[in-house]
Amino acid sequence: MKITAFLVLALALLPTVRASAQTKVTIKMGDNLPDRNNTWGAIVEQINGEFKAAHPGTEIVTESYPDQPYQQKIKIYATAKQLPDLFKFWSVVSLLKPMIDGGFVAPLDRAEFESLGYLPGALDTNTYNGKLYGIPVSMDFWVIYYNKKLFKDAGIDHVPATLDELYAVIPKFKAKGIIPMTTDGKDAWPLSITFDQLVWRIAGEKGLPRQALDRKIKFTDQVFVQAARALQQLVKSGLFQEDLMVSDYDAARNLFGQGKAAMFLMGSWELGLGTDKSFSDEFRANVDAFKFPVVKDGKGTVDDLMAWYGGNYVVSASSKNIALDKQYLVFYAKRFPELAWEKQAALPAQAVKARPSDTPVARSILRIIAESKATSGTPALDLSTPRFKDDNENAIRELCSELITPEVFVKKLDAAAEKAAKK
Amino acid sequence: MLPGLAVLVFSLVVPLGFSVYYSLTDWDGLGAYQHVGLDNYRAILTDDPVFWRSLRNVLLLLAATVFLQNPIAFALAALLSRLSARASRLLRTVYFVPAVLSLVIVAKLWVDVFNPTFGILNKLLRAVGLDALAVSWLSNPHTSLAAVIWIILWQGFGWALLFYYAALMTVPRDLEEAARIDGAGRLATYRHVIIPYLAPMIATVIVIDVISSMKQMELIYLTTQGGPGQLTQFLGVYLYQKAFVTSEYGYGNALSVLFVVVSAGLTLLVHRGMRVISR
Repeated sequence: MKITAFLVLALALLPTVRASAQTKVTIKMGDNLPDRNNTWGAIVEQINGEFKAAHPGTEIVTESYPDQPYQQKIKIYATAKQLPDLFKFWSVVSLLKPMIDGGFVAPLDRAEFESLGYLPGALDTNTYNGKLYGIPVSMDFWVIYYNKKLFKDAGIDHVPATLDELYAVIPKFKAKGIIPMTTDGKDAWPLSITFDQLVWRIAGEKGLPRQALDRKIKFTDQVFVQAARALQQLVKSGLFQEDLMVSDYDAARNLFGQGKAAMFLMGSWELGLGTDKSFSDEFRANVDAFKFPVVKDGKGTVDDLMAWYGGNYVVSASSKNIALDKQYLVFYAKRFPELAWEKQAALPAQAVKARPSDTPVARSILRIIAESKATSGTPALDLSTPRFKDDNENAIRELCSELITPEVFVKKLDAAAEKAAKK
Repeated sequence: MLPGLAVLVFSLVVPLGFSVYYSLTDWDGLGAYQHVGLDNYRAILTDDPVFWRSLRNVLLLLAATVFLQNPIAFALAALLSRLSARASRLLRTVYFVPAVLSLVIVAKLWVDVFNPTFGILNKLLRAVGLDALAVSWLSNPHTSLAAVIWIILWQGFGWALLFYYAALMTVPRDLEEAARIDGAGRLATYRHVIIPYLAPMIATVIVIDVISSMKQMELIYLTTQGGPGQLTQFLGVYLYQKAFVTSEYGYGNALSVLFVVVSAGLTLLVHRGMRVISR
């Protein structure tokens, strides 16, 4: 009797179980935005919320880690064949190419994104063999953020336009117990981008690192030695926080946000500093950005900008709901630029309009890109093999820790480029 | 017997077999790969200074553990065993605190202590006029290795103390008394009676030290990631970086196979050495 009752009950429940299993779909997402309450991460959460509301029965589970651990995690997931359905990654030339070659990434329909206001060339950076594989999220370029109040307190009335002027402000900040500038030295890539920028400022010609990677010129050429010397000098001069080489992204950002450092050398994606609620009102009101200074006797101008399209979103080829994932991407591409600019969290890879309510730092970011005369494209460390990237970063670390001379540094870089070219 | 053997095969032999297989390829962890024979091993042994440096660092850490941490832990354990029960319990708890802290907390704690600008260590040094010594401990090429080894020893100290204290508690009282009656002083008692009695225990602790020095990874990853340059590189971090940062999965696997070989060799050596000593 009991068994019959149980069977009846089970049979009665069966359709509902099946029905809910049918309608409930989970999209697994991965990104490098661990802070879900502020700026960029908060926007993704909002988009997710809106998408779930528009698609009842859809659940979105996100895994987030800081930038570098996230990159490693994705590689491990790829090796273990456990990639999230949708995930943030980097442009084709750098990290995405091996993923596409390995068949891990599903192609997208470019026509669906053509009319969504992408900046010229933005979709092209994610196109490979004629197919679109990812949608670019941000327009990235290299700037220096600064704290206007700390500048005023130290009696500095204008931002440094040359490296010499930059050196001149160091003692003024140090006298006040303020770190002149911070950046992420542990991960080395910010210093590597700075090196590229210095090469350009000195030579006045864009794309020299790329030519060296293509083996048309050599990294041992004089201009690279000069740039390496300039970079090492920046570190030696006491410009940066003392533990530069072991302080990571968040540590560097926090020193700046907490008013302990006057400048922060980083990309345009940090324009959200102007709205980040984890920092004080005073800081948010005073944060602004200026162009990387020119080098004395250099041939480059202040408007030669290290700029490229940043991360992108891609769909895993092994996702069970590729159609739904693609719907999400279209939804995201429509919502993100609007929300990102409304919240002043990031500069999207799609056109945005300046508004009177823009924060000062957002206005500066728009002005810097508008005034730029030339842009670099992807930085050198991301133009070659993962091994070259690592060799490049290690050589930069050694240079900035003063373990090697600029001459040895360029030799190491050249050897790494030679090795990568042979592959 | 059979279930035990099955566990051993699936948890050790099979993964190691995969590692050996991939170590003979140039796989980047994602796409297609080619067999390259022993190229990876040749490159590691003849053309990879970072491998040798990370091996040297492992041995330095091991030496510091065995010749600095262990004697101090032993001496302190001996002292504690003479104290009143209550005092001894309190102090043992205090010394053991670092060992129960999460590794992430320990790493962050010391990164903050060693912070050149805001860290308490440099503040203290400056307060007593030793400004010249207030360096950037973890990023200065002269101090970084010593600083990370210090953190590792600090965290592991509680375990060493616990092992030695527990061991000392097993020494029969009449053994000590017999030594005293024979006219042995306190030091002589330790040297000729207690330490030989505890030799098997000491050997075990050293084997544990070998293993933990070899697989040291997390703390380095959380503090210096092997930097500055590759000065604080350790095998565990290096093989991880090769496999998952630079996408040289085959090379990383070759490193891991060598890692197993070196670990096994060291462990055998310690056993052999201890057998000779206790004879």
